[in-house]
Amino acid sequence: MSRNAHLYAFPAVAVLLLGLPFAVSNEFYLKVMFLAGVYYVAAAGFNVLVGYAGQKSLGHAGLYAAGAYTAALLTAKLGWNPWVAFFAAGVVAGVFGIVIALPSLRVKGPSLAMVTIGFGIVIEKIATEWSDVFGGQAGIHSVLPLRLGAEPFAMRDWVLFVFLLGLITHLLMRSLLSGKYGRAFLAVHTAEVAAESVGVSVYRFKVIAFIVSAVTCGLAGALVAQQNQYINSDFITFGLSIFFLLVVLFGGGGSIYGPLLGAIVLTMVDAFLARWPHLQHFVYGALLLFALYAMPDGLAGALRGIGRKIFPRLHERPPVPTAVAEWQLQRSELLHKEAPLLEAKGLYKAYGGVVPTNDVSIAIRTGHVHSLIGPNGAGKTTLLNILSGIVPPDRGTIVFNGADITELVSNQICRLGIGRTFQNLKLFADMTVLDNVLLGQHPHMDVGFWPCMLGLRSASRQEREAREEALRILDFLGLLDKANEIAGSLPYGLQRRLEMARALATHPKLLLLDEPAAGLNPQETHELIGVIARVRDKGITVLLIEHHMDLVMAISDHVIVLDYGAKIAEGAPAQVQANPKVIAAYLGEESEEPAAPAVQPRPAVA
Amino acid sequence: MEAILQAVLSGLALGGVYALVALGFNITNNTTKTLNFGQGEFLVAGAFIGVTLVLVLSGKGHTGVLQPEDVTIVKYLTGLAAILVVLGILGVFLYYTAVRPFVGAAGLAWVMSTIGFGIIIQNTALGIWGPAPLAIPSPLGNEVIRVAGAGILPQEILIFVVSIVVMVALDLVLRKTKIGKAVRAVAHNKNAAALMGINVPAIVILAFVVSSCLAGLGGLLIAPVTTASVFMGLVLALKAFSAAIIGGLDNPRGCILGGFMLGLIESLIGLWHAELREISIFVLIIIVLVFKPEGLLGRKIVEKV
Amino acid sequence: MNYARRVLVAALAALPLALAAAPANAQDIKIGYNSDQSGGGAAEHGLSGRYGVEAAVEDINKAGGVLGRKIVLVNRDDTGQPPKSIQNMNELIDSEKVVAVIGPTNSGNALAWLHLPQQKKIPVISHVATATEITRRYEKEAKNYIFRVSMVDREQIALLAAYAVKASKSKKIALIADSTGYGQGGVKDATEILKLHGVTPVANEKFQPKDTDMTSQLSKVKTSGADVLIVYALADANANLMKSMEKMNFFPVTVGSWANLATPFVNIAGKKLAENLIFAASVTETSNERAKALNARILAKEKNLPIFVCAAQGYDSMMILAAAIKKAGSTDGEKIRDALEAIDGVQGVIKTYNKPFSKTDHEGLGVADFRLAKWKDGKVVDFEDAIAKSLTAADLKK
Repeated sequence: MSRNAHLYAFPAVAVLLLGLPFAVSNEFYLKVMFLAGVYYVAAAGFNVLVGYAGQKSLGHAGLYAAGAYTAALLTAKLGWNPWVAFFAAGVVAGVFGIVIALPSLRVKGPSLAMVTIGFGIVIEKIATEWSDVFGGQAGIHSVLPLRLGAEPFAMRDWVLFVFLLGLITHLLMRSLLSGKYGRAFLAVHTAEVAAESVGVSVYRFKVIAFIVSAVTCGLAGALVAQQNQYINSDFITFGLSIFFLLVVLFGGGGSIYGPLLGAIVLTMVDAFLARWPHLQHFVYGALLLFALYAMPDGLAGALRGIGRKIFPRLHERPPVPTAVAEWQLQRSELLHKEAPLLEAKGLYKAYGGVVPTNDVSIAIRTGHVHSLIGPNGAGKTTLLNILSGIVPPDRGTIVFNGADITELVSNQICRLGIGRTFQNLKLFADMTVLDNVLLGQHPHMDVGFWPCMLGLRSASRQEREAREEALRILDFLGLLDKANEIAGSLPYGLQRRLEMARALATHPKLLLLDEPAAGLNPQETHELIGVIARVRDKGITVLLIEHHMDLVMAISDHVIVLDYGAKIAEGAPAQVQANPKVIAAYLGEESEEPAAPAVQPRPAVA
Repeated sequence: MEAILQAVLSGLALGGVYALVALGFNITNNTTKTLNFGQGEFLVAGAFIGVTLVLVLSGKGHTGVLQPEDVTIVKYLTGLAAILVVLGILGVFLYYTAVRPFVGAAGLAWVMSTIGFGIIIQNTALGIWGPAPLAIPSPLGNEVIRVAGAGILPQEILIFVVSIVVMVALDLVLRKTKIGKAVRAVAHNKNAAALMGINVPAIVILAFVVSSCLAGLGGLLIAPVTTASVFMGLVLALKAFSAAIIGGLDNPRGCILGGFMLGLIESLIGLWHAELREISIFVLIIIVLVFKPEGLLGRKIVEKV
Repeated sequence: MNYARRVLVAALAALPLALAAAPANAQDIKIGYNSDQSGGGAAEHGLSGRYGVEAAVEDINKAGGVLGRKIVLVNRDDTGQPPKSIQNMNELIDSEKVVAVIGPTNSGNALAWLHLPQQKKIPVISHVATATEITRRYEKEAKNYIFRVSMVDREQIALLAAYAVKASKSKKIALIADSTGYGQGGVKDATEILKLHGVTPVANEKFQPKDTDMTSQLSKVKTSGADVLIVYALADANANLMKSMEKMNFFPVTVGSWANLATPFVNIAGKKLAENLIFAASVTETSNERAKALNARILAKEKNLPIFVCAAQGYDSMMILAAAIKKAGSTDGEKIRDALEAIDGVQGVIKTYNKPFSKTDHEGLGVADFRLAKWKDGKVVDFEDAIAKSLTAADLKK
């Protein structure tokens, strides 16, 4: 929903919601409303993990349990104040969120499912078996409910409280997800390697997503335990984990309103089919399948589609200006102007018997355009991967701008000032062009988690500034008019340019381009020469891998040649062209003669 | 001492069932990079169809009670035949409704769809047979066989033998026959296999049929030991899945190894501290996945950037 | 895609309409029934109980109802799960506005929602759930709303413990139970009662309700040297316990609860193995004329009655409740409750209830109504051996 629409809609909805419990006197209906609210709170956080960060956890019943049992034990066994216990439940659940996050960081797909399932089951079993502490299936009674003064909450009070909590959660999540964090989570979901290359620490964001989802699920558990004044291990089942996932998927992951829709619909289905328990489960299975076929974006996606047709104004993105100021690259000064910007010594990498990088040493001079050429399989991309931190070298050192970066990972290297593009495009295809570039701004948007979530002015200011700069970068590369389009819908040549825009947004000192001309037609290749020259004129050092010899010859100040993982020649373009070793390496692969750069570029034959 | 032997024997029998189901996961994972998260319910379906057929052949209704003399080897095998047919059909159905629409789609939609399919099967079974477990005496009799003081049921020996035979047979088929080679080709590279003239969709369907039949067979084998209950599928499938992940989801021998290992570990830990049985298995899985995400015998996939 | 969406919206809109099911006449008296009828080990108890209650409702309505109004039973299946059972109670009390509830089947479920009827002043008669705590939790309060017409664990265990102590040559008795509120409650009662006999259990093992292999727990029992085993769990688990015993060739004298009346016990364990367990029972379908009549009648209607005693208890609970409403002259929960404590001379299937309840005693049945039984050749028969015959009232410490 656009900002203005939300500004009016939210207070109206809030008033409606808080008035609703007073209009209903049937306590059972109130209980259903309470449950809907509880599941919304859980799902809103869970959506961050599943819908945004894309980590499908099947074990969040365990986090719900962590919150529920914390509240239960603190009040029933230790007599703590129920409010303190309630908030403590959120904190404890958050800690458990870290526990489940750590093993989940390194695995994907079915293995991730397995790790999370395992976690959920272990928690369930501990609650069942360690009955001295957790009461097992007999459970814990006399859990203290929340109270105002001496009176414990009546059902209506619970509903009001949960609705209030829900409204707050909505605001917090909306604020968190509409800016830097939301984009970063989506990036982690779509393309982890690309995310790292723009300074997003995939590990850190996965852990944050786990923690957020854990806190909300834990609070949901505490609410249920305190309202029932009872908890036992039967509340914690694999079915509950599936239910959370169903709420998010059915409602629509990746949307703020998805969890809301999912929670309302599914809680009502749950409550009103309760008298026919097996029909109820059957309906879940059917709903799941139905949601997957008919509404892959969930209810929210389907309604958004309808809404766009009926109320187009509701969903407009802020319009793109037709002209912007010229992009000025601002970044910290280089440490050593005269010394090489980057110096790599003795890099070595082997994969079993294959050695793509065999004792390679290179030096990159500030302000120059360097090219890395060589036959296919010479190890060029591997070298780039080593320099940008995606692949750790077995041996050797890399010093960049005075600092040793050999041991650093991608996102750290990006922050120090190395940006890159990829041979196989790694755009965030489902996001807009503008969002892609905004992601590139990530490494120097230093506003923290809390300011973002609380929507503080510092966060919105930084967001505005980043947006303005992103538009200028797009203009610099001739993409301004496409800013609100979906990245994946652009023609191939423009997608490549977008990737470069994204890399430029990181304010790199050194820009690594991996085959920027691949797949471009001759016209586009010619334009690319101009683009690279403009980038260099902004003060950015460039290292590019290319097969298009005319591009290489036209733009490079310095050429490095690799063959079978070793550096066989380097120097000025003309020198390298004439080098017999180079000619021998290319013999039979390039059909054009190494002549002086022709005005008419011919496509490479490789 | 005999308690340990007891645990080992029971563990091997249980492990046989895990290995069969794990092998089913391996086959579909290799050919389509998906697996049936509702596999447990297929196991349940297998058990119930088998029991019902024997009941019907013995002249009793589908919720009758089987006496030991009712369950002859002939009827048991007929039950097996029925299972293979029905589950094969279910496997095809599963593929078309829950897997094919979502293969390659981002977001693991096939996990949810196969879970949903499983839920529907479970509730259909619940509607037909009700919640009470159905007992089926073993066709080999219920007399406990004593081995050095430890007791083992003939059915447990049957499970072990059958699972070994099936696994060896599948291994031979995969390695020595033309169709086996076709399956392995599809597993390596679908497009290349298609270009070589292999009917990839047919192979994929075959994979799902075999996988479902393995689950059904597992259900029929385990029913005389643990009774057939509509609720038994989930935990069994999760354990079999864990076995596959530990052994290496993409390696059939790994899956088998994982299955037996898990059965043994579960049994031995159960002997020591019964309540830690399941906790220990799942903690073990988490640990294995952290240190060796590809499983013990799995192959590390190097992603090309 | 568009079509699917429209169908979905229409379906969701129609849902609340579809759920306004046939409402009961405003004049009718609603009684809630909240029990496990499909979950597992106790489902047969819940179903049988319901058949009994329904038969009673039929008889009452045929005779003109109570206070000139018909009785309507509002049935909810809790599938044996506490969260579901709690939700059902909420619905029955707050939405359906029942005047009383009969149920549940699972003791664990009862323990989870007891505070609800107590706080809302709705009387409850437990027609199956046997955990001792159920009627005792609120006994110190001014008004206790929970009653029971069933084989309360305390009394059952009094009988079982008395037998166990006399049957044990070494005075080494072991306990084994499931992990639910039922099993663990039984263990607590057994430990206390055995103490009254001066015996401390030498082993106390636990298993999951759905476990099928108890050889590990049994080997610990064997090591402890016990020659008598008291088991507290449901029919299917008990059957698997017997099978595990057979595997180990370890057959101590085994006594258990009435749960073993359920047919899954003999179906899973097999006729021969089932004979090894001695358990507590009360009325059977052949005990008296009314029992025979009730049994025949239910079989004619439902074709299958798994556990007769639950049907009998259900029938009697409903009759007692109806009598109390009549005596109270109103459907107010508090008045019904007070009437229950005062009621006298109600004719049930199991017996005639003469002042079954008092301020301090909310148990309709006691150990005097119980005896020992076992399965023989696929049928439940009384169990009388020398030890059983020698038991006197003094032995039945509780």
